[in-house]
Amino acid sequence: MGKTLFEKIWESHIVVEKQNEPALIYIDRHLVHEVTSPQAFDGLRMNDRKVRRPDLTIATMDHNVPTSDRSLPILDQTSAIQIKTLEKNCEDFGIKLFDINSPNQGIVHVIGPQLGITLPGSTIVCGDSHTSTHGAFGALALGIGTSEVEHVLASQTLWLEKPKTFEVRVEGKRKNPHAVTAKDIILSIIKNIGTAGGTGTVIEYRGEGITDLSMEQRMTICNMSIEGGARAGLIAPDQKTFDYLRNREYTPKNYESLVDYWKENLKTDPDATFDKTFVLDINEIAPQVSWGTNPGMTCDVDESIPSPDEFSNGDANQKKGAEKALEYMALDSGTLIEDIKIDRVFIGSCTNARLEDLIEASKVIQGQKVAPNVNAMVVPGSQMVKKQAEEMGLDKIFIDANFEWREAGCSMCLGMNPDILSPGERCASTSNRNFEGRQGNGGRTHLVSPVMAAAAAINGHFVDVRKLNLN
Amino acid sequence: MKGNVIKYDRDNIDTDVIIPGQYLKVHDYAELATHAMEGLDPDFHSKVKEGDFILSGKNFGSGSSREHAPIALSHSGVKAILALSFARIFYRNSVDGAFLLPIEIGQDAYDGISDGDELDIDISTNEIKNLTTNQSYKMKPFSEIIGKIIEAGGLFKYKPELN
Repeated sequence: MGKTLFEKIWESHIVVEKQNEPALIYIDRHLVHEVTSPQAFDGLRMNDRKVRRPDLTIATMDHNVPTSDRSLPILDQTSAIQIKTLEKNCEDFGIKLFDINSPNQGIVHVIGPQLGITLPGSTIVCGDSHTSTHGAFGALALGIGTSEVEHVLASQTLWLEKPKTFEVRVEGKRKNPHAVTAKDIILSIIKNIGTAGGTGTVIEYRGEGITDLSMEQRMTICNMSIEGGARAGLIAPDQKTFDYLRNREYTPKNYESLVDYWKENLKTDPDATFDKTFVLDINEIAPQVSWGTNPGMTCDVDESIPSPDEFSNGDANQKKGAEKALEYMALDSGTLIEDIKIDRVFIGSCTNARLEDLIEASKVIQGQKVAPNVNAMVVPGSQMVKKQAEEMGLDKIFIDANFEWREAGCSMCLGMNPDILSPGERCASTSNRNFEGRQGNGGRTHLVSPVMAAAAAINGHFVDVRKLNLN
Repeated sequence: MKGNVIKYDRDNIDTDVIIPGQYLKVHDYAELATHAMEGLDPDFHSKVKEGDFILSGKNFGSGSSREHAPIALSHSGVKAILALSFARIFYRNSVDGAFLLPIEIGQDAYDGISDGDELDIDISTNEIKNLTTNQSYKMKPFSEIIGKIIEAGGLFKYKPELN
């Protein structure tokens, strides 16, 4: 019987595997950041261990770096300590670090692909749940905790339970691909499968609706696999993948022979079977806006907020969850999504802060101004994205429209640096999680695409972006 | 293992309410514990006692890979989470560092156990006794793999000859 792409990558990385025991899996790339690594390095020191493969380990600082003027000292002392600690750990253990002043600094999941560190068929781990992003290149990319970070630092391997396989087939073509984006596809998938729909599985995204997407759009899809509960998301590499990674700073020298191997091996066999399948037809899907406190609580922009009864389909806890979510979000069932007024706009995060995201958002705002009473900011995913955008003049478009134009980092996605919502503030955000308090205590998050966030900034409320001229 | 239950009658308790992002800079575990569950229940720290269990619905621990989540709960005194299901990274983090036991339960136990009930949990027989109501329930057994890591006392004690 044929094998899935996941099974092929898994099998090619087994160091030890016995029945009813975890498999010891070799890790090709380990990405490290300042928040989930300090205790792991402490653990190495306590046990007098070294980093086994510093040459396969790459670090940057992204979670709590300020996105304001970097020539100024970091005011938050605990952040400053965490950043200094990573510098010291990288120096002590011989790990390559893209520090706060590096032109390559940025969100770890943005810089991996743009530097050619992320490669098809490889295993990649990072102490961050959105490591699933790298699956867009056909890499098995897993988010791990700090104990596992320490284990990989020490051994370049991990004990893993073999996940099950989940095919998500995206069929059809979007009528307006500028208005209905990759973000709307992945939010539609999560709305349907639920936030635990992928638990214990690796999702492989397949079908015309996926192969049509650019690499940056595919990263948006794989990024949010974890929001559907999956261990990882995968997309089989194709010519777009190979072209994207060619001639990057860290692309291997024998690249063309690797491409030949990948073309031959990195695909699911026609007769392979998946443990489960979900099919989404995207011919008719609409732009999505989340209304609740998990990414599954999402609806079409031209709909109204469902009642807890409608949302829960008779599940008591789902109903309770929806009631609590509406209370937290200060929203009523039946309110039209387009009538929801916003206070803040955040275009950023590992989900949607790449160059294409900024280009698409800039088209919406060109020649217009952010609505009065709305505060909007753009936080590019990396310093390289920022530089490329500035070379195209995108920074001027955003600044002229009264957006703030910031330095790269995770920023308001998770509220670890000074970029946070105040209690009660409502934000149109291109990030990945609308959990209670995620963007700041009492803050209210609506997950949307960059195009929707830009349109909301200009209008002060959500709008059906299919009605805008975006070509 | 005996303790009292703190019940959160809802699904999808995520890592951001277990330990909000602003505290991921805190390295002192005792201090981290004072902020456990702060995003959901600001009274948690004052009511939790050593040996308590948390009972909740589906997809407990969804979201971030922050190991700070099981660490904050464990250093608050919580010995086990009983839930209808778990998000995988939280589940592994709980076991890898031997912080607490993630115990999957059925709907019968979820419905039959109330806030404040005293339980006696025996993971060798997979039995949960509700000492308050005198009812007994079965927990879902740990997979062989997870059971072995728990038995070893965490990831670094598992297969030390290979570590």
